[in-house]
Amino acid sequence: MNSIAILSIEDEPEVREAIRRDLRPFENQFRIEAAEDVADAREAIAQIEADGGRVGLILADHRLPGETGVDFLTQLHADEDHRAVRKVLLTGQADQQDTIRAINQGGLHHYIAKPWDPQTLAEVVRNELTAFVLEHDDIDPMPYVAVLDGPKLLEKISRGPRID
Amino acid sequence: MHAIKRLATGKNLSLLLALVAFLVPFFIQIPGLSEAGHRLLSIFLLAVILWVSEAIPLFATSAMVILLLILFLSDVSGQLEWAWGMAAFPEGGAAPAYTAFFDTLANRVLILFLGGFFLAFGAARFGVDKNLAAIMLKPFGTKPSRVLLGLMLITGVLSMWMSNTATTATMMAVVLPIIHRLEATDRFRAGLALGVPFAANIGGIGTPIGTPPNAIVLGALSKINPATGEPIGQCSFLQWMIFAVPIAIILLAATWLMIVLMFPASRKAIEIDMNVKWVKSRPAFVFYATAIITIGMWVTGSLHGINSYVVGLFPVVILLASGVVSSKDFRGLEWDVLWLVAGGIALGVGVSATGFDTWLVGLIEWDAMNRVAIGVAICATALVMSTFISNSAASNLLTPIAVAVAGASGASAIIILAFVALGASLAMALPISTPPNAIAYSTGTITARQMLTLGTALAAAGILVCFLLLRPLLHLAGVS
Repeated sequence: MNSIAILSIEDEPEVREAIRRDLRPFENQFRIEAAEDVADAREAIAQIEADGGRVGLILADHRLPGETGVDFLTQLHADEDHRAVRKVLLTGQADQQDTIRAINQGGLHHYIAKPWDPQTLAEVVRNELTAFVLEHDDIDPMPYVAVLDGPKLLEKISRGPRID
Repeated sequence: MHAIKRLATGKNLSLLLALVAFLVPFFIQIPGLSEAGHRLLSIFLLAVILWVSEAIPLFATSAMVILLLILFLSDVSGQLEWAWGMAAFPEGGAAPAYTAFFDTLANRVLILFLGGFFLAFGAARFGVDKNLAAIMLKPFGTKPSRVLLGLMLITGVLSMWMSNTATTATMMAVVLPIIHRLEATDRFRAGLALGVPFAANIGGIGTPIGTPPNAIVLGALSKINPATGEPIGQCSFLQWMIFAVPIAIILLAATWLMIVLMFPASRKAIEIDMNVKWVKSRPAFVFYATAIITIGMWVTGSLHGINSYVVGLFPVVILLASGVVSSKDFRGLEWDVLWLVAGGIALGVGVSATGFDTWLVGLIEWDAMNRVAIGVAICATALVMSTFISNSAASNLLTPIAVAVAGASGASAIIILAFVALGASLAMALPISTPPNAIAYSTGTITARQMLTLGTALAAAGILVCFLLLRPLLHLAGVS
């Protein structure tokens, strides 16, 4: 069931915990992973994929020890296998240049400024994961109707392959 | 991960089991069953296991069934004596031509269904389903029980022409926002979420194109009775509707009543904001006209003499020629459903050609039995099977047997077959019973227990209604 993962990248433990708390509505249907930095995130992705899952959404901070979040998103976007991952920047420290680069070269889907409103974060996650499920014909939308955007997923199910 | 592994082994196990079941009749001797009958039994057992387990897609099993029937039980198998070591029909009698099995892929019922697909496609493309829902819901006002009645009626009506599954998904997309606006404690949430799939399952009964089981039993009617040289039954589109629509209406009303009693609303009023927005493009108008003409011709067959199967080709031709359905759209149609149905019809051809049916029904003393009891027993069997496996697969497996039972017991084929189709459509006690149930369950607003309670009550009501009304309604429709 938990074959789609949400990966957050955040170096501050309290903030990481806050993100985890706000993602709780999704924890039954999605695997939720938290990484401290980009190297850690790469390992997490490798582990998720080794388990037969895939990353659906990345919530990345920008300023991190080592590589920056925007650098990482840009690399992912250039990589054919991970281009479809929904990418959200959750940061307070990205300047205009970084942000522009994230949009143009990182395929950024959404930008959330810190501090964030938990409800907004949940809404963004919901919309992005809905888009991810809808874009992938090999994912059955049915298990996600209750937790993601139900009407949109039902629309796809109505055109789907199920036989009476 | 472990779940995936388990599933994979489950599939492999089913495939292995199917292979073993296929081989067993080659090594045992069943008294009274011909050599060809043994081979049919092999194919039948394989089909049972694969259609029940869905180890491979349902339509893949159908394709396999057709190929196996040709290899083992047609004139082609006569050429393969060097391989099997025995003739196709060792006890004599002519083996069917292999083309008899290929022909099932173009059975007239499939063309009828294809016509239905074109209408359903256009309805979804131009939003006709949602517009009709919006228009039909208006007169029902805002009282929760009335809103539910309206929703169930429109779902039932749409489901007569579209697949139960697509109808449920479309209508649940409308209902879900309403559900979310109700308080979490409101029991009516579950009522709404159950009403839609149940209405879709019931609505599918209404027309020959409502759901594949109807097509499967109609496909079996074209079998020729060797005694008379005539098909074993005739049932036009309108005749089907005359007996099926009243049953559907009664069952819809019964379901609605049960839901209203079981899941009372805590609110006084429910608002639905649905806008009617007719698409006014040229292709849309072509489609509207095509749909009206097709449905009109379907229900007036006796006036113009063009049977419903031929009418089924009209929307195909008009919408393809006018470009309303593009080649990409055409490729995206539910061809798998047609193959699934064809497999069932082919199995029926094999069953009667080999005398497997005669042997099977010969195991029971039919004279001692009441014909109505036979019908009800068949209906209940279809219902129980479809509760656990696909309605279409259950119909594929039961239909050839039902035809044989009808022949042996002297009951009319159409009544026994109608019992099969209705029984298959009445199965909705579990989330896995039908895709509409699974869709409703996926919204997280109903429990399996609620579905079980309502589904079981409806199944009981359904069998009772069929028992009391099917015969008089068939009589009214002039079907024998």
